[in-house]
Amino acid sequence: MNHNRNEYGRQILGRVRRDEFIGRTAELERLISHAKRSNGQASSGEAHGILILLAPLAGVSELLRQTFDSLFDSREELVPIYFALPHTETTAVSAAIEFLNTFLLQYIAYRRDEPALCRASLTLNDLVKLAPAADLVWIEELVEAYNRQRFGEDDRELVRFCLTAPDRVPSKDVRPFVMFDAVQLANYSDSSIPFAIEIVRSLRSGGNPFVLAGLRREVLDAVTRAGGDSEALAVMRLDQLGDGDARNLITAAARRQQVSINDETRDLLVQQLEGSPFFITAMLQAAGEKRLALDSYLACERLYVDELMGGRLNRYFSSVLEHVAPEPETRASVIRLLCEAAPEGKRPAQFESWRRRLKLDSATVEQLVRLLHIQELVNCDGETIDITGSSTLWQDYLKSRFRLDALREPRALVVADVMADALKRAPQTIAHHYRRAASLPLRELLGKFNSQLVPRCLFDYVDFAAAYKGVTAEEVSAGLDADTNLVRLPQVFHTASGVSLSSALRPFGEESSVVAHAFSAGVYTNQNEIVWLVARVESKLEANAALVEKWLDLLEGVARKSGLIRTQVWLIANEGFSPEANDLLRSRNAFGSSRQQFDILTDRLSTGEPRQSDTANEFQLIFPMGADNEMLAASAVEQVARRLNFTAEAINQIKTAVIEACINASEHSLSPDRKIYQRFQVENDRLSITISSRGILPGNFGVDTEGEEESTTTAESQTSDSRRGWGLKLIQTLMDEVEFERVDEGTSLRMTKYLRQNS
Amino acid sequence: MGESINSNVRSHCVGTTAVVYASDYLNKLTGERIERECKKQLESGARALVIDFSDTELVNSIGISILLGIIDIAEKGGALVVFSDVNSETVQLFDMLGLTRHVVLAANEQEALANLSPSPPQSQAIGH
Repeated sequence: MNHNRNEYGRQILGRVRRDEFIGRTAELERLISHAKRSNGQASSGEAHGILILLAPLAGVSELLRQTFDSLFDSREELVPIYFALPHTETTAVSAAIEFLNTFLLQYIAYRRDEPALCRASLTLNDLVKLAPAADLVWIEELVEAYNRQRFGEDDRELVRFCLTAPDRVPSKDVRPFVMFDAVQLANYSDSSIPFAIEIVRSLRSGGNPFVLAGLRREVLDAVTRAGGDSEALAVMRLDQLGDGDARNLITAAARRQQVSINDETRDLLVQQLEGSPFFITAMLQAAGEKRLALDSYLACERLYVDELMGGRLNRYFSSVLEHVAPEPETRASVIRLLCEAAPEGKRPAQFESWRRRLKLDSATVEQLVRLLHIQELVNCDGETIDITGSSTLWQDYLKSRFRLDALREPRALVVADVMADALKRAPQTIAHHYRRAASLPLRELLGKFNSQLVPRCLFDYVDFAAAYKGVTAEEVSAGLDADTNLVRLPQVFHTASGVSLSSALRPFGEESSVVAHAFSAGVYTNQNEIVWLVARVESKLEANAALVEKWLDLLEGVARKSGLIRTQVWLIANEGFSPEANDLLRSRNAFGSSRQQFDILTDRLSTGEPRQSDTANEFQLIFPMGADNEMLAASAVEQVARRLNFTAEAINQIKTAVIEACINASEHSLSPDRKIYQRFQVENDRLSITISSRGILPGNFGVDTEGEEESTTTAESQTSDSRRGWGLKLIQTLMDEVEFERVDEGTSLRMTKYLRQNS
Repeated sequence: MGESINSNVRSHCVGTTAVVYASDYLNKLTGERIERECKKQLESGARALVIDFSDTELVNSIGISILLGIIDIAEKGGALVVFSDVNSETVQLFDMLGLTRHVVLAANEQEALANLSPSPPQSQAIGH
């Protein structure tokens, strides 16, 4: 270990240099900043602890080690303590004592500024001798107290004593920052002490900043069981690395291990190792040790199978299984059960059937399944056990173990078969990845619909092509800006691959179709519930009528079988649709867009967040309903409109529209606060006014209003009792754009008046 | 020509024509005041109504619906209704909601009165 200071600081616990630490930079900065911010602010009300919720194999140790090194090097009043619960300890007491030892070791190393001490193996008495003068008294007292506790009869008390040792540091000089890693290992089966809970309680009860990291399911469970205010803890979620970070990690690890790779094998490893920093590092280390070049699929898969059958991957999975099922016989039965549950499409197994097959009592099976659940090797809801979604590497391991241990097949045959499977799968894995990368981000786009208004022609290829074929992007954009034939998109609340609804869509790939559940007009009523069935149609040229008919039949059939009542089919073909195909789409009320239309739509749909420029020139006014207060609003908007140089006539129209909107808000919403909220937004060429109120969402208000009016009648057809309700008609006539924004309660009407030469 | 102010509504009579003045903002409250005044004038024998909008800057839809009610009442009683001195923006609103098909618009009060009576009228206060 090199503790020499370099441009990135000293490498103390970190396994890689700071500049080689890839993929978690933002998280590292957040932890450091949290530690420094929390220092001396224990009573400020700010969360002093961070929970790191880890996806299995997402890797957290190096992040915490890097945090340790950075804080150690910064030499501030914060003493970093990193403790990973060791695999070798078997009881809560021994683990707690190990924590006490590590704490004192790292504390003294920091105080003496001697990083090498962190790696030393010293007894508590040795540590007392090394304690700096400023800390000698409390460390001596701590060790003496420990020696008294150690020979007491209360193990739980001893565990608590060890875990709370950081609280005994006198707060006048420095404060410890404890980072607790690998909490999922804390469930010692032979102990009556709930160690994970004791860890949570000790960290939370102290005033020092801390990090508690571990598998997400376990950490959340421990925090819940420990009780107390879990909302006072900040949360950081760590998942597998994204493709880009995983590529960078492989490149860096290969360089460090002097392993030759190429772009193809690098991409294969990213996909095959599922972005796991642990697997990636393990594979590259193995390649480095064996001096192997990973420059072909064959070389990669050969090493993969070696590692899976007897290397680091094997050791990792074996240790997980041994942790879950320490008894060999039970372990073999678990492997068999997991293998039998593996085939795709198989229904989840019943907990009771596992209990019978394992021939164990319910409590033991429950604990075993719980450990598998924590590792996310199964999903258990208490009654059923489902293994779908578990890692391909894990399934490869299970299969090979089953064949070797249960079926007693010759090892050579199993190795050959696993390798043949891996080699056959490699091109498919990469093809799947490329297809996914090239696929349209259908779900992301649908998620952005959010009741927004967009030009209707974006959903009709022939209309769009007639207006914009051969036109520059700027002209298309300007044309669409001016387009008044708009369609209001629904608010999508759930999306899933079409495959999840029907296996008939599976041959086209998971990414090719999406089922989006939504509410039109953003109003949550039965009649507004709608399901969009969206599919990407593969066609090099304009999709023809036969292809479109096939897709329409397929999607409409899926809708029928699934009992979907109100649906909207939307097909997307790269080059659009032939005129006949477009006619067919229209005749069946389906939408059809080209890739260009899709891309334009993607650009136009904001995420719903107001842009910076949207709020820069904004006026807000809140006033009580009634007492002719709408005149105040009219006066205010008049002043704003004058600044924009609207004509007197236009100003009068705006004022009238505002008055009507205020009256509507007052009359329709049964507002609890009896207030009207107004927002005047000024842009170069327009004035947008939003009038909103809290309260109920009137059933007949703002529902499917596109192209409709609240009242389309005039004086001739009205009786005296039904003459009210002209407000919205007036607003729509007086203003250029009127739309109801989606709100959870009350109403929000946005209206826009454009500044024209004569307005 | 006599003039009366009832509940903040100015009015006066010229022969059998009642002239009622709308306020600067015609809304529910001011509309109902005008309605009450007009009814009163009709019950007192007025055969025609001139509603003068020279002070009116803004009209809302509730005010317009009340005006329609007044037109209904007048029509049922065989009385004529003329709106005078309506600004162009308000005319636009009346057009939108079909009011202008039921009333005569006059540029000002004099023109309204002239439309209602070919010979020069003799002004006198009635009612109140």
